[in-house]
Amino acid sequence: MENIVEITSSTKYFASSDVLANNQVDFAVRKGEVHALVGENGAGKTTLMNILYGLIKPDSGTIRFEGREVEVNHPDDALRLGIGMVHQHFKLVPSFSIAENIMLGMEPNRFGMLRKRDEIEAVRELADRFGLPVDPRTRIRDLPVGMQQRVEILKVLARDVKVLILDEPTAVLTPLEVTELMTVVRELARRGRTIIFITHKLVEVKEVADRVSVMRGGKMVGTAEVAETSIPDMARMMVGRQVILQIKKGTANPGEKVFEARNITVADSSGLPVVKNLSLHVRAGEILGVAGVSGNGQTELVEAVTGMRPVEGGAFFVNNHEITGTTVGERRRAGMAHIPEDRIRIGLNLETNLDENLVVSRYKLPTFNRFGFLLRGAMSRFAGEVVERFQIAAARPGDSIATLSGGNMQKVVLGRELSGDPKFIVANQPTRGLDVGSIEFVHQTLIEARDNGAAVLLVSVELEEIMSLSDRIAVIFRGQIAGEVDPDTVTVEEIGLLMGGSTLDGHAAGEAEEMQTEGAP
Amino acid sequence: MISYRRRKLTNAILVPVLAVISGLVVAGFLILFTDVSPFQAIWEMFRAGFGCRSLDRCALFTTLERSTPLLLTGLSAVIAFRTGMFSIGQEGQLMIGAIMAAWLGFAVDLPPIIHPLFVMLTAMTAAGLYGWVPGFLKVKLGVNEIISTIVLNDIAILFATYLVNFPLRADRGTTAYSPVIDETAKLLVFMPGSKWGIGFVIALAAAAAVYLYLWRSTPGYEQRMAGESSGFALFGGIRNDRAAIRGMVLSGAVAGLAGAIEVLGVHYRINQDFSLGLGFDGLAVAILGQVHPVGVVLVAILFAGVRLGAQLGLQFSFGIPRELGGSIIALVILFVAASRLYENNLERIQVWIDRLRGRKTAVEAAVEESG
Repeated sequence: MENIVEITSSTKYFASSDVLANNQVDFAVRKGEVHALVGENGAGKTTLMNILYGLIKPDSGTIRFEGREVEVNHPDDALRLGIGMVHQHFKLVPSFSIAENIMLGMEPNRFGMLRKRDEIEAVRELADRFGLPVDPRTRIRDLPVGMQQRVEILKVLARDVKVLILDEPTAVLTPLEVTELMTVVRELARRGRTIIFITHKLVEVKEVADRVSVMRGGKMVGTAEVAETSIPDMARMMVGRQVILQIKKGTANPGEKVFEARNITVADSSGLPVVKNLSLHVRAGEILGVAGVSGNGQTELVEAVTGMRPVEGGAFFVNNHEITGTTVGERRRAGMAHIPEDRIRIGLNLETNLDENLVVSRYKLPTFNRFGFLLRGAMSRFAGEVVERFQIAAARPGDSIATLSGGNMQKVVLGRELSGDPKFIVANQPTRGLDVGSIEFVHQTLIEARDNGAAVLLVSVELEEIMSLSDRIAVIFRGQIAGEVDPDTVTVEEIGLLMGGSTLDGHAAGEAEEMQTEGAP
Repeated sequence: MISYRRRKLTNAILVPVLAVISGLVVAGFLILFTDVSPFQAIWEMFRAGFGCRSLDRCALFTTLERSTPLLLTGLSAVIAFRTGMFSIGQEGQLMIGAIMAAWLGFAVDLPPIIHPLFVMLTAMTAAGLYGWVPGFLKVKLGVNEIISTIVLNDIAILFATYLVNFPLRADRGTTAYSPVIDETAKLLVFMPGSKWGIGFVIALAAAAAVYLYLWRSTPGYEQRMAGESSGFALFGGIRNDRAAIRGMVLSGAVAGLAGAIEVLGVHYRINQDFSLGLGFDGLAVAILGQVHPVGVVLVAILFAGVRLGAQLGLQFSFGIPRELGGSIIALVILFVAASRLYENNLERIQVWIDRLRGRKTAVEAAVEESG
């Protein structure tokens, strides 16, 4: 079959971060196929696609589209050729309807007056043509994430594209929504569209793609027929070595209750309650996993637990002492550690060096200051110890941390938070954006902390992570615990139901109470 | 890694140097409108600003005298900026310091040395409190510090106008002045012919103190973390609100010291046009000096010298208006502010430098390194 897209020798160097994101990458996609582009974070997949979509200008390399050499300097050029992209973060107007979003910038009009009816008709027709039913009048803000993504896809299809790039499309979806998306992708390919599917989840590649291209460290490792490769093969190509996909974990020995949240209510920045009357507890020596689709109040819950956000109601206890109104500093001194979801803006200060990053929670200790002056020598020695203990490659005391890889940055965070044996660890998305090797390391470290008697509250949207690390799992949905399950007996489907707002017997959460009273025999 | 750090360092130097050169080039075009050669004019300007004919006729001493308030208001801005507060209140805080100095300079009787020390400490306290106001408003009520400091600048300047016209007015002359301060309050001058004296030394000491405070002390560490990444500071247990208020108080105190030294060491009294934008110049000094005490010292001297050179060299020798000096400084600031525009060219310049020195360019090195 002929190639619709052919990228030859694409090279892109980011001087500001000293990263060679694309190193003479060759990439070809056949017409009408679903082509998975896989690689770890930082492998260069998104850079390559941004080059194809005209968002980034490469240092060198050529793009051929339908056999002709083309210049793509702007997304407009890409769209004109017939290349569209759906980004990981949706770019929709929440207060507009589906139809208004899809037709944005190409509204049907007569003498400058909008023709709403034509707009709705056009969207309905489009949705029919691709078998993606939507109600054109619904507002985006009332839609679940999976539907929002469908709107994004329709928005691109409305521009009559031949090649559709999906950038990590499953990252924000529930397991059920993922299944639906896979059907949509297959269907689009059947109707003659070419799909480039960016992901780092190899199960999805197996499920949906015809061919797969693997990138590592800015280079193209190779392209293969999906039917002829196995997941371990792809994993090896991605990481460059054999990976252990299962982590070793002994049974937990839970002790006393270390942390407890009682009837907590937390508001988001606009004042709306996003955590409602939530209760949970963590005991010493166990990991409580909080599973849930992104945006169900996890961020606010963690901020409230760690003291960064006030609560509207309820109380927190550490070792049966109430800590509800205390500051971040007081909680940290009481033995709390926090691995935040955003290591770039919250977990680290990229403007300063390793030493100063490592003491932010302990610079007031007599070890690190005397008469109000920082003891630089002690800070530097501490940095050296952390670098050694946590094997932070490419970092030395006094170095800038801005150029470290994501994995090494996270090791800096872990090194700071887990030094000094914390009693209570709050970890929010601790492996987000990390490569497989670093994920292994983070997981091992958390399990070690648990085995040393720490209470660990693990919040993650990665179901696999929750399943493999947790000793107990609480599923959060719309700011409430939808159910607590045992990781050894629960299935992915069951958790998926809870994450999507249904109860385990298949009813929507809101109906649950009613059903219990009526359903009693 | 190494190439990255090298590039960062060269950028820190390249930006101000390129800005100064670009400013001078454009100024050269402006000079073309007169019948003086631009090269001659700019040479004359630097000679008149930084030259030294003899110990009692030394332009450099006058430059150092005039750099003193710029240095201190620049340091004041450094403290505020590093704490994440975009305070432009140096003008008003300087005025408060000057008012305190002009008043206590004649109103109390104290022995020499004690007198100026007492005056400077009081001026710093008053100006520090004046800096506390916008800090407090920001932290408690979320009032934007840019707006509150602008308003407070006007209040301070008008307050000074009132004082020299009524309660502190010294005589019935056409211009209103406060009384001349006591001899005991005046600061030591090193050389006759200029007012270059102990005030400059105090300013240098202040630069060292600001450096030690911000980069070596725990409260300074808190302030920098709050300024560089407030999310990180909050996460680590630093009280951002306290750091912000502390930064504003210290920033005000240093600006107040500038006002006090101007009164005690140069003018000995105030009139209603006392400041003439010394506070605002401090902002430019801080920005061009890379928001660092060392940069501030160098840039303050450069600014003072260019101004003096424009006045003595251009105006007196060639009849070119001395405002050209101000234009050059304004152009330099403009080119610094626009550094984003030529950041791409900075990269290109880096490539030229690499080629000239026979090194590989960054892209080539990166490609080669990865094999």
